[in-house]
Amino acid sequence: MAATAPTVSGTTTPSVPPLRRRRPKLGAYGLLVPASILIGVALGYPLVRQFVISFQEYGLKQQFGAPAEWVGLQNYTDLLTDSYVWTVIGRSVAFCFVNAIVTMVIGMSLAVLMQRIGRAARITLQVSLLLAWGTPVLASMTVWQWLFDTQNGVINWVLSHVLGIDSMAQHSWIIEPLSFFFVATVIVVWMSVPFVAFSIYAGLLQVPAETMEAAQLDGASARQRFWGITIPMIRPVLSIVLLLQVIWDLKVFTQIYVLQRAGAPTRDTNLLGTLIYSYSKEFGMAGALATIMLVLTLALTGFYIRQMLKEDEL
Amino acid sequence: MKILRFAAVGVAAALALTACSSGDDSPAETTKPSESAAAPEAATIKLWLNGTDTPDALREYLTTTFAAQNPGSKLVIEQQDWNGLVPRLQTALSSEDQTPDVVEVGNTQSATFTYAGAFSDLTSLYPELGGDKLLPGFVEAGTADGKVMAVPYYSGARAVFYNKDMFKDAGVEVPTTLADFTTVAKKLTTDKVSGFWFPGQDWYNGATWIYTNGGELATQDGDTWKGALESADSIKGLEQVQDLFKTATKAPADSDSNEPWVPFNQGKAAMFSAPTWARWSIDLPECNEGVAADDTSDDATAKRTKQQACNEEHTGVFAMPGLTADSFATAFAGGSNLGIPAKSKHQELAQNLLKIIFSADFQNQLGKNGLIPGNTEYATSMGDDVYAKAAIAAALGAKLTPAAENWATVEGDRILEDFFQKIATGADVTASAKAADQLISDALNK
Amino acid sequence: MSTVSAPTTLGTPAARPTKVARTSSTESGRSQTSKSRRLLGALAVVVALAWVFPIYWMINSAFQPLNKLQAENPAWLPLGGTIANFRQVLDDGTFWAAMRTSLSVVVIVLVAALIFAFLAALAVSRFRFKGRKSFILTILVVQMIPAEGLFISQYQVLDGWDLVNKVAGLALVYTAAILPFTIWMLRGFVAGVPIELEEAAMVDGLSRVGAFFRITFPLLAPGLVAAGVFGFLQAWNEYTLALVVMTDPAQRTLPLWLQGLVESNRATDWGVVMAGSAVIAIPVIVFFLFVQGKMTSGLVSGAVKG
Repeated sequence: MAATAPTVSGTTTPSVPPLRRRRPKLGAYGLLVPASILIGVALGYPLVRQFVISFQEYGLKQQFGAPAEWVGLQNYTDLLTDSYVWTVIGRSVAFCFVNAIVTMVIGMSLAVLMQRIGRAARITLQVSLLLAWGTPVLASMTVWQWLFDTQNGVINWVLSHVLGIDSMAQHSWIIEPLSFFFVATVIVVWMSVPFVAFSIYAGLLQVPAETMEAAQLDGASARQRFWGITIPMIRPVLSIVLLLQVIWDLKVFTQIYVLQRAGAPTRDTNLLGTLIYSYSKEFGMAGALATIMLVLTLALTGFYIRQMLKEDEL
Repeated sequence: MKILRFAAVGVAAALALTACSSGDDSPAETTKPSESAAAPEAATIKLWLNGTDTPDALREYLTTTFAAQNPGSKLVIEQQDWNGLVPRLQTALSSEDQTPDVVEVGNTQSATFTYAGAFSDLTSLYPELGGDKLLPGFVEAGTADGKVMAVPYYSGARAVFYNKDMFKDAGVEVPTTLADFTTVAKKLTTDKVSGFWFPGQDWYNGATWIYTNGGELATQDGDTWKGALESADSIKGLEQVQDLFKTATKAPADSDSNEPWVPFNQGKAAMFSAPTWARWSIDLPECNEGVAADDTSDDATAKRTKQQACNEEHTGVFAMPGLTADSFATAFAGGSNLGIPAKSKHQELAQNLLKIIFSADFQNQLGKNGLIPGNTEYATSMGDDVYAKAAIAAALGAKLTPAAENWATVEGDRILEDFFQKIATGADVTASAKAADQLISDALNK
Repeated sequence: MSTVSAPTTLGTPAARPTKVARTSSTESGRSQTSKSRRLLGALAVVVALAWVFPIYWMINSAFQPLNKLQAENPAWLPLGGTIANFRQVLDDGTFWAAMRTSLSVVVIVLVAALIFAFLAALAVSRFRFKGRKSFILTILVVQMIPAEGLFISQYQVLDGWDLVNKVAGLALVYTAAILPFTIWMLRGFVAGVPIELEEAAMVDGLSRVGAFFRITFPLLAPGLVAAGVFGFLQAWNEYTLALVVMTDPAQRTLPLWLQGLVESNRATDWGVVMAGSAVIAIPVIVFFLFVQGKMTSGLVSGAVKG
């Protein structure tokens, strides 16, 4: 059934963009020029420079005028032979997967929920998700710190006064790495779910009613219809949303950085983003680590991207 | 272009010549340095001050005095946040167009920038600014390869503030030795009250016990640095620290040394240790007159004076005692240095500003505002009240972080915050010290 | 709230299935009773409340005086609250200066990014040309590179053009930073607008520009909104680059301003911090609610194609 069901992209847009013969191909390049120049100057050049510098001994001294020495792969070998760097890589990958999966599962559930409830309930849910999505990250970080605050945080109050767990009265949530990452996950998931839920909901709306009705007439159960029709049909949305979540969760920086500054043990809670930032006085190392992280991201998503390229979903 | 000139001190002019930017077409570039060398081109120079430690009146004094002494030139003061200062300095100081002309850096950040070559050499100006009378630890932190690159701005010695009523209720006196301090702190501690407010990440105060017991954070051997927390002396101090964490404080392990007067004001702490200017932040409920912060009426001012007097009546202050009676502890000195960025185009004007800052007039004003002036000669300007006495006593023995080129990395990686937090949560002192030493050594010898 | 309507796909030609499963009755089948639907509705409301709680708490705390915030038991409602926290935040001239800077940056970024991204999206979705796939791959891969180490080079680029401490400088870098994702989002959208409609309008006598603005642009609006939301959020939130570029206190953006406020009030007064957070969140929330209807329908095709 999955194979015969039209894909969403198939119903919405021609999978092969139409060739416009009236305009010369130069036009296409012309349209790309402004964006390319901007990206090239303000993003591309710094990225290339960062890559080049990753092969140099480049620190504060070099920034103030000392000549930068080429050191070949030294920065890379230094990093890759440091067991701490591997710990952080492992931690980041684990954090990324847990967060991406939890976000997808909750986002998907909420999207399905939105579809099965009345208008009033749906709008309530949508507005609340929207508020969470729209709150600027620094503002929401301060709120979450306040919620989890050791002394006057409402979460400790509820646990100790309402649920009667006295030991939680002055509990510090961020002092233990595991509990730190729990808090970080709650925050990251809270912020990411709205985008996922809205996107999947949007995808669900495109599943043609006739197909569902036909399947129902054929005797498919609700469960069968969901896994056999709905999921395959919204797969393009799911793939892209998941891909974006993996990329974003691997890069997570602000949430971790702010929580660390709130009083967590820094070394035990570093992820790749914060580790790179901590190398900003040794720019060469930061560059090498950024490159390593790119390779890592590509390794984690490469297969997936190839698949999408093949199916022409890109 | 109209070029304004005025006579300048020879040394300064000579220095300026070597640092003149190529775009400067004043005759100073072509004439030989001499007593009568040309004055610097009039310009607007930028001074970066961090946080709110420098009072507004002092800022005003600097801008007006500078404008008066340097006709045609102007001083603009830009206030920066301490938080995020390092990345800002890192980028701005490397830009000829953007660099401020004089910057304040934290004393512990100073070494990193001096070794990186971010500052101009001030060695020849150093005697004129005060020479040997400048706070020696700060000068050391601002010196790289024998050249003075940054000079002390002010220091804030730590003193212990205590709630007199709580002392009376618990029947304790001001402690006379460091061991006695722990005993007193324990006696003051109840279910709700911390005898001594000592948050887990507060290594600024924790260092006092290490230093006083003869320990160090790191030591230098030839070209290499080594973490020194696992030395016997440091361990002795750290064990006392852990004892305090365990039995004399209710402060959370995930807090740092910020604003310790808040729990004090709330009656949750009987003692806290902070730079002496913390006196202005004490606001006990029994003294609060309920004046709005922006109320400038005479009535409000009178009430505020009354409030301050009441607060100071209920609050005592002493310098942390040393190992034996009548000695003082070696505390960690807070404070900052001033430097002239090497890329500044207005070296000579910047030096003129430094001269104003190191004038007797300005140094005395620093003292009057509760800051220990960079030039120790003017420390008496702090007055002779209990605060000044405690501050000066504490300052005499105060010590800084190791003057290692990469010390800022230790701070950036928050190694000491992590370490003290571990101690606070009951980790084994020796094992934690060993692990932290390894991290410090790695960071300093990178 | 009337702006929050159920996202429909009807407005966008990108989604033109003849009949769309819009209601739960067709999707989940007739077996679903109204009782279970009410139960699910209740569940949704519970989730909604849980999700919105942090924001409620921010606003609630912002109205509390300090002694209530530090009281043994929290105050759950802002009854008998105070607006002193907001006054303290808003009376401070630095807030309005920061608001002005942030708004200017965001407006420039949105206008520039949407125009440039739209042009690029036209190219990749309406033309097949050599390097098209590489271009798409590049804008995807670029998003994988962490930006935390980039600020030094970006600073030097801006410094070279004397754009440090200038709104234009910050806007330039932000625009470049969000362009890849914006192109990525708009691409599927542009592909869905049938060129035939525009051509038909031209046959009817409209100029090309007229046809674009009368026919194509309205169809694209939801996509532009959906893409713009991301740009808005990123430009509004960015901190690390703004920290080094906007060193002049008069040029601070809102995140820098909030960070300063948090630093000076963290241990002291959460009420002021919450009020500060609320005032920088409100413009975004208003913007979101304002564009909500368009945004969700924009996501329908935007998200489907990426």
